[in-house]
Amino acid sequence: MFKDLDPILHSQLRLAVVSLLIGVKEAEFTFIREKTNSTAGNLSVQLQKLKEAGYIEIKKQFKDNYPQTLCSITPKGIDAFEKYVNDLQSYLKIGTL
Amino acid sequence: MKDEQHMTEQESLQVISTMIAKAKQSYHETGYGPLLWGIVISFCSLVTWGQMHYGFSLPFDIWFLAFIAVIPTIIMSVREQRKKKVHSYDDTAMSYTWTVFGVSMFILIFINMQVGELVNHLKSAVENLGAERPKVYFSDYNSAYMMMLYGIPTVISAGIKKFRPMLFGGIFCWVGAITALYTSREIDMLLMAASAIFAWLIPGIVLFRKYIRKKRQQHV
Repeated sequence: MFKDLDPILHSQLRLAVVSLLIGVKEAEFTFIREKTNSTAGNLSVQLQKLKEAGYIEIKKQFKDNYPQTLCSITPKGIDAFEKYVNDLQSYLKIGTL
Repeated sequence: MKDEQHMTEQESLQVISTMIAKAKQSYHETGYGPLLWGIVISFCSLVTWGQMHYGFSLPFDIWFLAFIAVIPTIIMSVREQRKKKVHSYDDTAMSYTWTVFGVSMFILIFINMQVGELVNHLKSAVENLGAERPKVYFSDYNSAYMMMLYGIPTVISAGIKKFRPMLFGGIFCWVGAITALYTSREIDMLLMAASAIFAWLIPGIVLFRKYIRKKRQQHV
């Protein structure tokens, strides 16, 4: 039923990350981990997949002498998310017919 | 949260709505900025009114407080930015709006000083020609300019944050700016104080109370 849905986004954690980033300019890795209740290792892997797909940008820098990872959604990511939501809506419409 | 998990459409929607709500909940306005500026500008205006009304004078210009208040504002802003783990688009828009306001304010004060001097020269020239020195003071219009400028970032902020108390405050500033053209300098000062109270102090109190409530809920 969900064959046509974007496989990158159709994963709970990746979808959660993109949904979180869609309304913000950028968010710290710790913030995303806290809000998604995920482990650092798992989140790193999923963020990497989103980055490889070109959906997010990952910026590494130092803040008060500590490393800081900032994530933000890219225009490609926004388009993919919008398409995912539209596809989802069409499935829901089919479901209610 | 698992990664490669098969989700139904309802589960997908649930994830999206939950995360969007979580992102929204993570923004908080402390209200420190509007509180500080509401207090400083209303205090300076009321003291200036007091000086005019009761005829006393201070050994310094009370409006220097406004210059000094820039320092804690910058410190608070830098601290808040550092604490934030998430930056919204609203933050950027707000930051630009208030920086532009601050710079415009200093430029306006500088322009007013220059034009005020020019008007004085013209008045002296008229007097030198044997006519009576005109009893028109350029500074009578200072408050109108200021209140017009106060209204701009206040209304924009209200729009960005969808925050009604600031919208009413901003509109009050503009009404005050027009009113100040027809009132004495004493009344102008009272209008300035009221503008600062409605535009910043009251919204600042509302934001601060919301912030405290939210903080308490998070610690429960």
